Amino acid sequence: MKTLAVVITTPPYSHLTITALTYVEAALVAGINVIGVFFYQDGVMHANENISIASDEYQAIEHWQRLQKQYQLPLHICITAAEKRGIACDAIDNDKINKAFTVSGLGELVELTTKASRLVQF
Amino acid sequence: MTSIEQNSSASPQESVLAIINSKAPFSSSHGKDALDVALIFAAFEQKVSLFFQGDGVYQLMDKQDGSLLGIKDYLKTFSAFEFYDIEDIYVCQPSLASRQLDEDFHIDDVQVLSSIEFGLALNRHQHVLRF
Repeated sequence: MKTLAVVITTPPYSHLTITALTYVEAALVAGINVIGVFFYQDGVMHANENISIASDEYQAIEHWQRLQKQYQLPLHICITAAEKRGIACDAIDNDKINKAFTVSGLGELVELTTKASRLVQF
Repeated sequence: MTSIEQNSSASPQESVLAIINSKAPFSSSHGKDALDVALIFAAFEQKVSLFFQGDGVYQLMDKQDGSLLGIKDYLKTFSAFEFYDIEDIYVCQPSLASRQLDEDFHIDDVQVLSSIEFGLALNRHQHVLRF
């Protein structure tokens, strides 16, 4: 079976993130096995629990949460990229990380890349 | 890491990952982020190749020191590629020429390729990430 992994490097307020979300949802609706989304570089900002985007803007974080819930889509953030941007990941019961996201490392990107038939970066 | 090896769908003649470096070294963290990805793939014994194109070629130029800008000089880590078995390092010749840069690199065994060769080399990889 064909598998897809997606890398997101853009922040929640980027127009490219909208394209990425549209792409991922279209893949899921088409029944493609999306084995995971890896958030790297500014992409980790999606997992920042303290971010609240103005209500008349595109709610990228809410859409990721919805896809995660509806399709059990794994959302991984890179811990190094997150901590570099001031998102502390060390606490056990962490209230700074959005619960829809899993704190992972670049090793997870290796895992996803080697398992996926196709890797798409945004 | 046996589970990864078993799951790898790359055919033997094909490398798993190509990383394209397209940004100058010190104005953003793209170069360092690409380096981190390259080293982790190598640490997991996945074959990774590095491609330098556009302003990315500045990452290979000799006699640079990011610490003068108060930045951790990640370029020094390039000398560890041999230790990590990262052997396939390609640079785009037209990108050097259009910037009037000589082939004066701070690491050895860099292969300077024409546009066509560069594209063919990229095509030998199952996945591509661009930074």
